[in-house]
Amino acid sequence: MTFSMKRVLAIFNKDLKDLSKNMFVSTSILMPLVLAAIYGRMAEDLSIESYYLVINLAFTMTATFIQCAIIAEEKEKNTLRGLMLSPATIPEIFSGKSLVAFLLSIVTIVVSSIFMEYYPENVALVAVAIVVSTLFYIALGTLLGLLARSVVEASVIIMPVVFLLGFGSFIETLMDKYPILHFAEYLPNLQLIEFATKVQAGSGLTDVWSHLSVITAWFLIVSFLTIVIFKKKEIDA
Amino acid sequence: MEQIIKVKSLAKFFGNYPALEDVHFEVNKGETFGFLGPSGSGKTTTIKILTGQLLATSGDAFVFNQPTASLNKAKYRRKFGVLTDNSGLYDRLTIYDNLKLFCDLYDVPAKRINNVLEMVNLENEQKKMVSKLSKGMKQRAQLARAFLHEPELLFLDEPTSALDPANSKHIYDGLRELTKGGTTIFLTTHDMHEAETLCDRVAFLHKGKIQLLDEPKKLRRQFSDSSLQVLLKDGRELLLPGGPNGAKALYEHMQADKVVSIHSNEPTLGDIFVGITGRELV
Ligand SMILES: Nc1ncnc2c1ncn2[C@@H]1O[C@H](COP(=O)(O)OP(=O)(O)OP(=O)(O)O)[C@@H](O)[C@H]1O
Ligand SMILES: [Mg+2]
Repeated sequence: MTFSMKRVLAIFNKDLKDLSKNMFVSTSILMPLVLAAIYGRMAEDLSIESYYLVINLAFTMTATFIQCAIIAEEKEKNTLRGLMLSPATIPEIFSGKSLVAFLLSIVTIVVSSIFMEYYPENVALVAVAIVVSTLFYIALGTLLGLLARSVVEASVIIMPVVFLLGFGSFIETLMDKYPILHFAEYLPNLQLIEFATKVQAGSGLTDVWSHLSVITAWFLIVSFLTIVIFKKKEIDA
Repeated sequence: MEQIIKVKSLAKFFGNYPALEDVHFEVNKGETFGFLGPSGSGKTTTIKILTGQLLATSGDAFVFNQPTASLNKAKYRRKFGVLTDNSGLYDRLTIYDNLKLFCDLYDVPAKRINNVLEMVNLENEQKKMVSKLSKGMKQRAQLARAFLHEPELLFLDEPTSALDPANSKHIYDGLRELTKGGTTIFLTTHDMHEAETLCDRVAFLHKGKIQLLDEPKKLRRQFSDSSLQVLLKDGRELLLPGGPNGAKALYEHMQADKVVSIHSNEPTLGDIFVGITGRELV
């Protein structure tokens, strides 16, 4: 099977143009940016938790929500079928459709980090974790977008995600209270915080690879589910 | 003759509801095939099955000699174009940008956009955003997208339902041009005039089965009762039966020089349809 970059970029260009005129969805990148700007001005020295409150919010609001909304809209407006009936393959369609959310997330996170003056001890290592996390949040957005029937539904479905994954420190407080919730430490957002904390304290890959693997596992599981759901919906029964 | 679509014993149930029960037909390469039937008779369902969007419950459907479930390969997707009620366009993009996307997906040079927009009479609106288009303009833009890549086979599900007569006629001319170039067209319509104008053969779908299938001309002849409509100078209109009785009456009126006009009383496709289904097309 061939993979045509031309088709991927055609879908990317289309989404970029479309999103630039879609205020409802595109303004969702503002929330993490505004929060980052406020944090940056308020405190001299922010904690890792504060940095990652903003970064995790950026993941859910930018990567997951934008992805979820643009997939749901393709279904709602009956345009996804047009892509699927074209020679574009499924990997091409989903790569093209993920590219906008991917780039916007990375830009949002980089700009937020600059606002907050977050300079990781090991930029390369943190960058890898950010990219893997972005892939996970986009896969999650794709999955939810396939389940939502409209953009309105997408913006409802996203709520628990923002709550659970965007505001991670809140869960940590709960975890301290109710030990039964300890499995939550395997959530990708908390894993990322652990990872970043250790890196900031000077740890290298050997100390933090386990966190990276957990996030990667999340990405793989969600991608697998997405493929299963898509296969189910590709041809109506 | 090469057959581009073959359908045998096709059935589709939605739950217990039989949308298609036992459908058989073949479409020859290069012909325009009219698929007619009342609302809810399963026309769109058939197109969805033929284009691999929907699984049949039983029976066989082949397009380009492939089972329709395996039409998802790029090389087949290039060969057909579809216009159905689920061929959406991107609202926030212009007509041009919509078509440009599909040029890139189908590897078609962008200069083709002007050709197809001419065919649907939209060449002056290409910079308009889709959300600002009228219903008929939208339909024409969707149509342009369906044959942008010059497919061998074109599925058109009620392509002119939102169009005024002048635009419909313009589209008919365009579709005839396509057929001249060898395109096969599978057309559903509620417009019997459209079916007579465009179709080489028509099929009537009703109660999950094809009730009739032939050339429009032959069907009209088959259902003609050879009666004549005669208008007399005194203003009376007569319907004279075929055969000796009618002939005798006609002879007498003509002898008396009372006849203004004589018309054959051939049924239209619409009449035949109503005769078969016992209901009007909606
Ligand atoms: N996804 C579906 N689930 C359940 N029933 C369906 C579904 N799609 C179609 N049907 C039913 O199948 C029948 C045929 O529908 P279809 O859309 O094929 O009719 P049609 O001939 O295209 O009608 P129209 O002329 O109004 O477009 C209808 O009774 C419809 O309600
Ligand atoms: Mg229909």
